[in-house]
Amino acid sequence: MVITICIGSSCHLKGSREVVKKLEELVAEYGLEGQVELNGSFCMEHCVEGVCVRADDRFFSLKPETTEEFFCKEILRRDV
Amino acid sequence: MDICTDISYRSLNKYHEELCGDKVEIIKTADSDILILADGMGSGVKANILATLTSKILGTMLLNGATIDQCVETIVKTLPVCQVRQVAYSTFSILQIFRNGDAYLVEFDNPSCIFMREGKLEPISFNERLIEGKRVNECRFQVRRNDCFVLMSDGAIHAGVGQLLNFGWTWKHIAEYAVQNNSRGYTANRFANLLSKACDDLYMGHPGDDTTIAVARITEPKVVNLFTGPPENPEDDAVVINRFMEGHAKRIVCGGTSANIAARILEREIKTSFNYTDPKIPPTAVIQGIDLVTEGVITLSRTLQLLRRYAMGEGLDEEYFLELDKGNGGSMVARMIIEECTHLNMYVGKKINAAHQNPELPFDLSIRMNLVEQIRETAVKMGKYVSIAYY
Repeated sequence: MVITICIGSSCHLKGSREVVKKLEELVAEYGLEGQVELNGSFCMEHCVEGVCVRADDRFFSLKPETTEEFFCKEILRRDV
Repeated sequence: MDICTDISYRSLNKYHEELCGDKVEIIKTADSDILILADGMGSGVKANILATLTSKILGTMLLNGATIDQCVETIVKTLPVCQVRQVAYSTFSILQIFRNGDAYLVEFDNPSCIFMREGKLEPISFNERLIEGKRVNECRFQVRRNDCFVLMSDGAIHAGVGQLLNFGWTWKHIAEYAVQNNSRGYTANRFANLLSKACDDLYMGHPGDDTTIAVARITEPKVVNLFTGPPENPEDDAVVINRFMEGHAKRIVCGGTSANIAARILEREIKTSFNYTDPKIPPTAVIQGIDLVTEGVITLSRTLQLLRRYAMGEGLDEEYFLELDKGNGGSMVARMIIEECTHLNMYVGKKINAAHQNPELPFDLSIRMNLVEQIRETAVKMGKYVSIAYY
């Protein structure tokens, strides 16, 4: 599965760098390197209050501090 | 032959002096660039006034088509007479380079111009003339691409005199040093910086005289096209991208949405990276056929900061150039504009990005127009030809 994180201007200011870092750590922690691919993208036109993240075809709005929760709930729960 | 010039200079003030007694004027006319370096007698306020008057009179008169004879006559009759020495005096050098490759060099009592061609020192065959009782050397010749000229005030050839060196740096040694370093391909600004730094070092940071180095490089026209901001009307997307891709140029796209537009119209893929070489600047991306793809407003703000420092010529130390050589988007755009560009064409979309109108963001993203305008101003100050097309 592919997780795409927006690195455009406003998401950058909302902390996309931290979100990317956190996700990279989590993927490594759970040993999912072969199964989860992290990708960057410019604006995906789903700008909301947080950093825009797409997992498969669903969009999420993350903050650095909610990233782990997202990862556990949305990524781990599924069969990856 | 269609040529461009890259002209810049750096002055050191005599130690303890607040004003420089050397003055440089750089003027662009319709068909030429003129570089004037005047060195007023003495130092401080008086020298500064003499040099300023001289360079301004020369510049204004030449710009309006006066001959060098008329200029010298005017200077001789206008300069205030020094009460101590009973003379009115300022030395000067003038280098005029025409767009068609013709050049005209005039010197009055300044150290002679260093002329470098194909890695070697090129002798200049001067004609000596007496104008108003003053010996003036002049020469008319043709320039070629990659020729480089260094004008200087006598503070340069005297650097280190009586301190580190018995007789100062001397013209011959400056010329050797210039030839050695010319092959590095530095811009005029960086080259002038290098040479004046060497003078400053020989003076051990305490210049005994006002010291100025002015550099003129002959370059080919180098075009950079920069696209930033989505067009107001989406129907213009293809129009702007087609114009942006026209001709021989380096191409930069600044902006995530702008990059998406370029990729869509060109039917090419964007590859982004997570390579945060600078945590404050979003990473760059790659679109095949485009030289540089970056985020928009945050990156351009950094670019503007770097361009401004360069244009002002303040604090251009080694650290500045290291910053400029870094791999973040802001530095990369600035470096392209500074080092690889004589003509900057900006294609600017005016659409307002709703996500940028967010007062909670720690940075005002709604400033694209403002940034573009300031980049234009700064690039013009640096001697670039700038055009902006809004969509």
